[in-house]
Amino acid sequence: MTSTSAQSRKTLSKIACNRLQKELAEWQVNPPAGFKHKVTDNLQRWVIEVTGASGTLYTGELYQLQVDFPEHYPMEAPQVIFLPPAPAHPHIYSNGHICLDILYDSWSPAMTVSSICISILSMLSSSTVKQRPVDNDRYVKNCRNGRSPKETRWWFHDDKV
Amino acid sequence: MMGNKLGKKRQMVEEKYTRPQGLYQHKDVDHKKLRKLILDSKLAPCFPGDEECALDLEECPICFLYYPSLNRSRCCMKGICTECFLQMKPPHSTRPTQCPFCKTSSYAVEYRGMRTKEEKGMEQVEEQRVIEAKIRMRQQELQDEQERMQKKLEISSSSRVVAAAEVEDYGISSSSIAVPSLRYPSQDNVVISSQASCTTPPFRHHLNATQNREEDFDLDLEEIMVMEAIWLSIQECGSQRHGEMGSSVPPISGGCYLPQAPPSSEASPSNGLVCAVAAFAERQHLNDSDHPLSHNIANASAINCISSRDGRQMANYTPQNWIEVSSDSGRAVLREEDGEWAMDHGSMIAEAGTSYSSSSGRTAVAAEVESTGSAMPDTVEDPCFQPAMVAGNHSRIPESFEEQMMLAMAFSVAEAQARKSPHGLPWM
Repeated sequence: MTSTSAQSRKTLSKIACNRLQKELAEWQVNPPAGFKHKVTDNLQRWVIEVTGASGTLYTGELYQLQVDFPEHYPMEAPQVIFLPPAPAHPHIYSNGHICLDILYDSWSPAMTVSSICISILSMLSSSTVKQRPVDNDRYVKNCRNGRSPKETRWWFHDDKV
Repeated sequence: MMGNKLGKKRQMVEEKYTRPQGLYQHKDVDHKKLRKLILDSKLAPCFPGDEECALDLEECPICFLYYPSLNRSRCCMKGICTECFLQMKPPHSTRPTQCPFCKTSSYAVEYRGMRTKEEKGMEQVEEQRVIEAKIRMRQQELQDEQERMQKKLEISSSSRVVAAAEVEDYGISSSSIAVPSLRYPSQDNVVISSQASCTTPPFRHHLNATQNREEDFDLDLEEIMVMEAIWLSIQECGSQRHGEMGSSVPPISGGCYLPQAPPSSEASPSNGLVCAVAAFAERQHLNDSDHPLSHNIANASAINCISSRDGRQMANYTPQNWIEVSSDSGRAVLREEDGEWAMDHGSMIAEAGTSYSSSSGRTAVAAEVESTGSAMPDTVEDPCFQPAMVAGNHSRIPESFEEQMMLAMAFSVAEAQARKSPHGLPWM
């Protein structure tokens, strides 16, 4: 359960811990449709299984999201990536990084893991082509040293998908 | 409702609540200014947040802790505790803060003290509407799913439509009602799946009607359970909030937990429904566990009560989930502003939070309730629900007076037990 980014991360603040516990409890009662939280004892890293919605390009396909929470969650956004293999999508890089504004600049502490999941599923569902982003290779090469997507200066150009 | 400024000024706030309680390590907080704002009732006092929901506490949607009162955003009226609010303006930031809930730029809050009864009522109504919308969505999903299945069935059996016609002919010529599918088990599904056509002989009509009714009932029962779970959790919290001072035990009547009427004057459409479900459960219980449905109902009510605390959270958080999902991904151009807590912005951008609650919600759900109501009697018709079956395995009605009395007593004992036990489960 460790990676370079996990080791450099500080433990959760008290407030982050409390909130995540409540989010998890709420999730267990009322999980977002199409998502399954993989049970671990690690509150700071959630692995979530996503099932592609029916009637979309990803119908029935299974993917895994990894959500890492920073010390100051929810004031700071969690890091959300797809574990390999990441779905082919114009906004998802082959290293699992997701180009989605709410994960970065547009994050708000009023959002929750559950609402992130819904946004990601909605992004998947609205895709019309199974295709990597045009700059996939360049971007992935730049990230080879294990850079977090949160360090990327994202440029959100497409508000359709 | 807005509160009289003169009367409100210099409200008594304990000194210790005029500074942060250490929820965050605040940087750049002007403690003097904060103290003044709290004493002037422009910001909520820094009460220490409670972990558990209790009487008359409000949950801050950022830290998930409970407080006696919260600040409200001017743009969308969402609550926020003072310490979370202080975190909203990033230190050294040159740009005005966006509302964390509705993304309106130049976020500002105001403090109106504890919520009034009207405000609480309004909030609950809004919560209800969101839940109702969710139920409608779920129903739509179920319906779509069913239609898809139906289509699949139709496609797979289209080659056998001829067979269906044969069955029809047979039905007409023999004019025997007892024929049904039993004798033609292999063609049974054909009859069912081709029900879309309208020119049907009476006997087939009958078959289809039964089939439809059963399907409807399955669907409705699931909805009833979902709705009931949601309602109970809301109502339970409501009763915690409003009723705890007097009697803390929720009223139990006729073996069912009667939710208190919501603060709005409208009666809850599901009040009757809950009773109907309970009555139905009772009936089911008489029949013991022969019928698979009786398990479902008992389980459902058990779940209701176990999950009720979290159910409330759900009720609380749905509105903002909606907003987040719909929050536009285009970024607004932000302009420079060094406001003092951005307190004095007159710009009132209305109700992002309520835009989903269509006013037709209530009537739509009421209609659903009606349709489930009409589904109920069907089950009663089913012979296995007849009380006579409890007394003996045969439906003979005793002839002598004594026997009849015995039967009546046995019946009432059974009923009394049935009343006790389904509720032993949830309330334990």
